[in-house]
Amino acid sequence: MENVEKKLREEAKLLLAEKKIDVLVGYEAGTLPMTATPCFITAPEEADRLVWNAFCVQNLAKFVQDLISLHRESQQRVKPEARTRKVVGVVARGCTTRSLVIQLQERQFNRDDIFVIGVPCGGYVDKRKVAAQVAGQEIREASLAGDRLSVKTAGEAKTLSLGGILADNCLTCRFNNPVLSDLMIGSPASAMAPESEYAGVEAHEKLSPADRWDYFEKEMAKCIRCNACRQTCPSCYCRVCFAEQSQPQWVGVSEDETDTQVFQIMRLYHMVGRCVDCGSCVAVCPMGVDLRTFLKKLDKDAFELFGNRAGSSLEDLPPLSQFKEDDREDFIYDPQKAK
Amino acid sequence: MSENQAPSSWEPKIIAIVCNWCTYAGADLAGISRIQYPPNVRIIRVPCTGRINPFYVVKALQAGADGVLVSGCHPGECHYLTGNLSARRKFATLKRFLSYIGVEGDRTMFTWVSASEGERFSQVIKGVTEAVRALGPARKLVKQL
Repeated sequence: MENVEKKLREEAKLLLAEKKIDVLVGYEAGTLPMTATPCFITAPEEADRLVWNAFCVQNLAKFVQDLISLHRESQQRVKPEARTRKVVGVVARGCTTRSLVIQLQERQFNRDDIFVIGVPCGGYVDKRKVAAQVAGQEIREASLAGDRLSVKTAGEAKTLSLGGILADNCLTCRFNNPVLSDLMIGSPASAMAPESEYAGVEAHEKLSPADRWDYFEKEMAKCIRCNACRQTCPSCYCRVCFAEQSQPQWVGVSEDETDTQVFQIMRLYHMVGRCVDCGSCVAVCPMGVDLRTFLKKLDKDAFELFGNRAGSSLEDLPPLSQFKEDDREDFIYDPQKAK
Repeated sequence: MSENQAPSSWEPKIIAIVCNWCTYAGADLAGISRIQYPPNVRIIRVPCTGRINPFYVVKALQAGADGVLVSGCHPGECHYLTGNLSARRKFATLKRFLSYIGVEGDRTMFTWVSASEGERFSQVIKGVTEAVRALGPARKLVKQL
């Protein structure tokens, strides 16, 4: 990890000095222990702020799309001959590159508008799992060494093995190496355990419909509609989200529980073939809503029905933007068979 | 009386979102041919099943529909050539997702009825009405005003 970070800073300096990129989206150390926040580096001398470690959580593709669309919008007000192009560099792990692929498939920007610095990823730390290990006490200090994390709370010091505190989505990650990159830093990361990625969904499918509904109701009752999941999601880039649209008003803004459920159903459903399981929504949720159980189901269906793995290939189209004549029809109601 | 037991006067309310070119014409034919079908269905006509936002289905459930039926042209017969093929993918995933979260599978139905299938239209409505009647009134997702 150390030398990935060092190499990353060197490359960033070089890229910025050579004006190959105008801004680099990366991570810098956060103000609290065990955090890294997204940062925007525009000058070579700032590149030393960059970090790369297991505390880097958020998917940075969100900011890439944001920066480019804001820039394009600002260029609308400039004379055509004075318009500039902005190249956004991004430090990207496997899931971030998949999100970039989705945005490229959806024509949000051109391939040459971005410069992808690929980094291998060994997964990130789930803060909730660490909190559970230290009985919810405030963590004063944390340091990583190899695959061990040492944390200090007011009362005790503990060393945790990284395997036990990685986020669920990282443990079963299929794409922990970038699928798209202009420059690779470090050697490819070793594989995780993708064969069990749908284990949670399969277990949930076996429950009775009533139990599944109870679970859904219970999880959605936690939701406070803060929209953090939407704000952080790299696939949620609509200028006006259906949740805020007023003509027609798709979903009520009251605290009515069905409004929350409908909001979540539709936000989740928009992720068919577009969710890369980066875990950003789960990580930022202040109420700890289990969104992943539902998102993973959509991912599983997109794979089972259409053979799609979201964002895995630039040549492929998103599953709901295409069709085949022999798509499965077993869900179609037939009055003859129903008798 | 348990909560899920329907009062004896209860009749299922079913929203049918149908395409203008096939199923709506099929319903018309059923009417012209004097084929009987249950009066529980409220038909909404749209240009094509491809035009139906999956949100319509969820929204109908929230507004108190006991069942939602979406029907269009058979694959390969779409007036706009491929609208129903795009729709098929959307509804395949939507139906699976709704049953996964626990909404009964029979509350959302998808089918194809062509303009010449008045008889099939009446059978579909009969079948869907019976299936929804068996489930009882919708309780999940319904917004209480």
